Amino acid sequence: MSRLSTKQKVFLGIGSWLALAVVVHLIFGSSGRNDSFQPQEEFELTPWVTLELGAIDMSITKGVFYVLLAAVLTTATMVYIAKRMQDRPNRVQTAVEVAYDLTRNTMTGQNMGRPMATKWFSFIATLFFFIWFSNMIGYLPLPVNTGHPVDVLGLEIPSLAIYAATANISLPLVLTLLVWIVYHVEGVRVKGLVGFTKSFVPPGISGAGAIPLFVIEVISDFVRIISLSVRLFANVLAGHLLILFMAGGLVVLLGLPALGVLTLGMAIPFFLFEVGLVATLQAFIFATLTSIYLGDATAESH
Amino acid sequence: MNTLLQIAQVSDDGLKSIALGIGAGLGSIGAGIGIGIIFGKEIESVARQPELRDELQSIRWLGFALTEAVAFYTFIFALIAFFL
Repeated sequence: MSRLSTKQKVFLGIGSWLALAVVVHLIFGSSGRNDSFQPQEEFELTPWVTLELGAIDMSITKGVFYVLLAAVLTTATMVYIAKRMQDRPNRVQTAVEVAYDLTRNTMTGQNMGRPMATKWFSFIATLFFFIWFSNMIGYLPLPVNTGHPVDVLGLEIPSLAIYAATANISLPLVLTLLVWIVYHVEGVRVKGLVGFTKSFVPPGISGAGAIPLFVIEVISDFVRIISLSVRLFANVLAGHLLILFMAGGLVVLLGLPALGVLTLGMAIPFFLFEVGLVATLQAFIFATLTSIYLGDATAESH
Repeated sequence: MNTLLQIAQVSDDGLKSIALGIGAGLGSIGAGIGIGIIFGKEIESVARQPELRDELQSIRWLGFALTEAVAFYTFIFALIAFFL
């Protein structure tokens, strides 16, 4: 038997994949459109513990659970690593040291002056690690889906689901508002109220031309609230939607088992892409932009 | 207009789905071109000055994430238009 060339192998692989889809379709057929399955339920926040203070709803939902889990994990990991520092680091310590170097030198050091960087390093590093942990636990299947419990030996256990606190607009928005207020306060503290207001106009422009530029710069300052929060939220939400639909949502929705053979093949690369790149990259971007905004607000040249 | 839609058997939901598809799709074109330019220029720069590779790497990821987010803005606004 002659050996197959690479091209033939690729065609054979794709062909057998498509053939598998056709075989599955012939065996299982189509069960028609499924109207009872609501994919948006996956992102619904059902209160676990109802807690209302007057008009403010402070119920414990899975979003709150994920925020707390991320906070506990961030603190616990960092304190644990810091407590048992060794001269000859093991693998975990090396990884944390690389992340520390990234937050200290790349994110903070390159965008601010030296005294500012020492002052604000802890804030930016905390933002980075907190967002990273909440993004990463968003890809672990955890038993949080109380809407569809599974019966295990008489116990009602919530089924496994993936959800991230950052896939809800509330958490990114709160973090963004915190950052926004922080850099305004810091800018006013360094330059004074008048100096900070003047710094909105780019250097080298004076007279009547400065007024429209000032208006545009103020608007773009407010747009930062939207862009910073929606960037994180939309990236994580779109990733979760892709994984949800590719890994089975479409199959259940359309009642076409054969489609699952094709979409699962796409779901796995998407999952790896989200875990390997997007989760870290979005945390990196959020922290870096915070650092750039802080550095901009306090820089002398502007 | 309404009678025209009735004749063509087009539902409100169908039109919204088309709007979502076109909106998110057009948004992705721009972001796709932008990401291509970023990586292309980075390859060019590293080819010219290989010693700058590490510095360029963090700038590249910054630019990539900023550009990629544009596609998601259109997607989110299309979803808002779809559900509202």
